[in-house]
Amino acid sequence: SSWLPQMASFRGSHWQTSVLAFRASLPMRAQPKKKKKVDVKREQAQKDRMKKKIKKLEKAAAEMIPVEDFVTPFKYSDGSRVRSLPPLSFEETERRVLLLKKWAVFKQKQDEAEKKAIQTLVEAQQEALKELRLESEELYQAAIKRDKELFPFESDGPSYTPPLPGYDPPEGKCIDITKVYTQ
Amino acid sequence: DALLSCHRHYRSNPTHGIGRFKYLLPKQAPKKRKVQMKEINPGTEHEYGDLNIQVTSHDLCLVEHFAQYLHKLCNRLCLRVPESYAMPTKTHEVLFLEERGSKMQLDAVLTTHQRVVQVTGLSSTFAPIFLEVIQSSQPEGVHLLVKEHTEADFKSRLKSRPELEELLAQMN
Repeated sequence: SSWLPQMASFRGSHWQTSVLAFRASLPMRAQPKKKKKVDVKREQAQKDRMKKKIKKLEKAAAEMIPVEDFVTPFKYSDGSRVRSLPPLSFEETERRVLLLKKWAVFKQKQDEAEKKAIQTLVEAQQEALKELRLESEELYQAAIKRDKELFPFESDGPSYTPPLPGYDPPEGKCIDITKVYTQ
Repeated sequence: DALLSCHRHYRSNPTHGIGRFKYLLPKQAPKKRKVQMKEINPGTEHEYGDLNIQVTSHDLCLVEHFAQYLHKLCNRLCLRVPESYAMPTKTHEVLFLEERGSKMQLDAVLTTHQRVVQVTGLSSTFAPIFLEVIQSSQPEGVHLLVKEHTEADFKSRLKSRPELEELLAQMN
């Protein structure tokens, strides 16, 4: 009858009891032992090779990323372009020298004021700590200990051009194009 | 006499600079220093350990000058400065969206520079005064950050090794 050949094509071999359980039904005889030995040897060889590679790479000392600030760009190495300045008059040179001297005096005064400020701060602090010690020893010991919440300390500088209150900035994005160095 | 007994020769003296010889020697290339992390000092009860003063800005000259000023200030206040180095520069491209259009237009290319001054042995009583002084002399546009030194900070200066990392990941 017509349904017999259809039944035969349904299963590949007479060992295949169901379509899904393929491996469990086919008996594997000599193969598994060979696979175990070869696998273990191969894996060990692979591991040894990787360890050798890692040792080789680790032997080479780590390199620091070069800082681009300290490398002059190639386009500035050309020495043919020279600036030609007009000669200065006597009054101009005198004015500049006197200005430099005034600037030096101003900076000196600024520096001295800073040193004096630091000194007064330290003296005032020492006096306050002395008085505190006379008041109570426990508070003094607690005051001398280091502050755990002091660091990390962050501060933005003074801003002479703060952002405008009613300004609507255009949309945009920032892409990081720093050169990544790999060893 | 204080004037006659002074052993230093003045510049107008004919024998000035008579002992100089190092300028005649051939210039030696600087020796390659081994890149090894120094031990991080944790600090005691009354003293802070290794502190990193990181100064960041878009303006290179300003950041350099401020870092030099900080270094000189630490020298003057007898604070030990184990290291003073520069972090690699970061470059950012700023794009903005045009008013009438969907294309992003290049506005500017900004470079961020960072300098680090390491300080050790800062006493707990002097620390707030030091921070006050630094803050008061901070120029505009310069961002200041003071934090403790960690191994991660040191590792961020080294080049990345993707091959080594891959192999280590495979091993584990």
